Amino acid sequence: MSSDSAVIALESVSKRYGSRTVVHDLSFTVGQGEIVGFLGPNGAGKTTTMRMIAGYTAATSGRVSVCGNDMATQNVEAARMIGYLPERPPLYDTLDVSAYLRFVAKAKCIPRRSIAGELDRVVAACRLEAVVRHEIFKLSKGYRQRVGLAQALLGDPAVLLLDEPTAGLDPGQIQEAREVIRAFGDTHAVLFSTHILAEVTLICRRVAIINHGRLLAIDTPSGLQRALEETHRVSLQVSGPAADVRDELRAVKGVITVDVHPMPGQSEMVAVDCRVEPRHGVEAEIARVITRRWDLHRLERQAPTLENIFLRYVNTPEAP
Amino acid sequence: MTGALAVYEKELSSYFRSPIAYYVVAVFLLGTGYFFLYSLFLAGETTMAGTFQSMGILLTTLVPVISMRLFSAEFSGGTAELLLTLPLRPWQIVIGKYLGAVTILLLMTACTAVDLVPLYLFGTPETTTILSGYIGFVLLGMACLAVGLFFSTLTHNQIVAALITAAVLLAFWFVGHVQSFQRSDTLRALFGYLSFSRHFVDFIQGLVRTEAVAFYLVVAGIALTLSTNYLKWRR
Repeated sequence: MSSDSAVIALESVSKRYGSRTVVHDLSFTVGQGEIVGFLGPNGAGKTTTMRMIAGYTAATSGRVSVCGNDMATQNVEAARMIGYLPERPPLYDTLDVSAYLRFVAKAKCIPRRSIAGELDRVVAACRLEAVVRHEIFKLSKGYRQRVGLAQALLGDPAVLLLDEPTAGLDPGQIQEAREVIRAFGDTHAVLFSTHILAEVTLICRRVAIINHGRLLAIDTPSGLQRALEETHRVSLQVSGPAADVRDELRAVKGVITVDVHPMPGQSEMVAVDCRVEPRHGVEAEIARVITRRWDLHRLERQAPTLENIFLRYVNTPEAP
Repeated sequence: MTGALAVYEKELSSYFRSPIAYYVVAVFLLGTGYFFLYSLFLAGETTMAGTFQSMGILLTTLVPVISMRLFSAEFSGGTAELLLTLPLRPWQIVIGKYLGAVTILLLMTACTAVDLVPLYLFGTPETTTILSGYIGFVLLGMACLAVGLFFSTLTHNQIVAALITAAVLLAFWFVGHVQSFQRSDTLRALFGYLSFSRHFVDFIQGLVRTEAVAFYLVVAGIALTLSTNYLKWRR
């Protein structure tokens, strides 16, 4: 995607605090109608990057722009287009939920006549009806997170920045929050950071993996899987002698390695793990070869999981 | 101005939903009430001069309690991340917060009007002198609050903000006394000029001098400008 059509664009962005560089030369874009997941271990630079896009801190070098506004000089204009939920929901404990949302609505310059309607919309979207009159300090962690999400949605911003939006929610609430994000992402640009890998595959069109302040990869979840794991894994259970099975499988075209283990309690059976080339048809050939001589009890092809990909990226030592 | 107004309204409702505003007003009224009764019944003065003098000192100790939370609480509570990423310019945030604090000051000041009732019942005080005293008191308070607001932008810790503000305000209050130790005329004039209390005395005596009005307004202006620029710089 070119940076012209991008709603969020980072160009060679770095952030230094004194001599410590937290973000190194980061470049990526998020387009309209796109949900991008921001993945990285703690301290990878996710929050700092989010803060730079939101305009809370300025980049030391490089350029961050939101809807064409340079965050270094036009951050107030850009702020009208951004809904931001920081890692820790920014709530005024002494206010009640409705007073808090009303303050944010006014500060976002929503016309007074539309405020009531906007409040109703976000309260319904985040399921806050039961606590609208409650003081914020009395709310549970899940509700606090949802009030934070509600304030970000106020004013229907073009860009939604969510720093770990599902942290602290129970499974049901996580499901609801994902629905809200997914619905919003159909027409807006969403960048959200998370630790939960499954979440990324569920709702993101693209995933950015970051560690030690550097962007390691950005691609679709399936693109990452393809790019990283050139070989796939096929596991099977066969009733036959280990040595023969191994020799037979090694001869199959497309099979790279074969591991045969005896199965405890079943002297006749062996479990086999093969690494195979990613092209189609390899497992069919394996099945044909095996069933010619023995009984095949199970055959499964396993694509690499996002967990493996993520761990492989972040466990790579930091570049000098 | 809409943005500043939104911040102002939020500030006021925060003040009144926490015990701080009630505490400050109550302590201030108790203190002023005591000084007033002392000067009226024990010293036999039917003026507000003595009371105003004590109100000034009381103010320098209560202003830090009002101003300490202005920005420190936003930083420590994580709400600064919202406030500074909303479509608000730093000056709008500073002005909104400052006017919220000034409203508490005006409320405190208005409550002391109770003291005027016995004064007018039992004596014939000079209304113009009382008015000029009140004008001076509000101006002094506005300058002190702006200084407190500035120190509150510098730290996450409300207690640190309050202690620094109290120290600085007391220094400005008593700096006039250093005059006597100076040989150089320039230094004597400078220390006299910087004194918050010396300018305030003019108002208590019934003099609304342009120089004194300008002094307090300039101090407030400098402190608010510094705060605004600091918020821009810390990004």
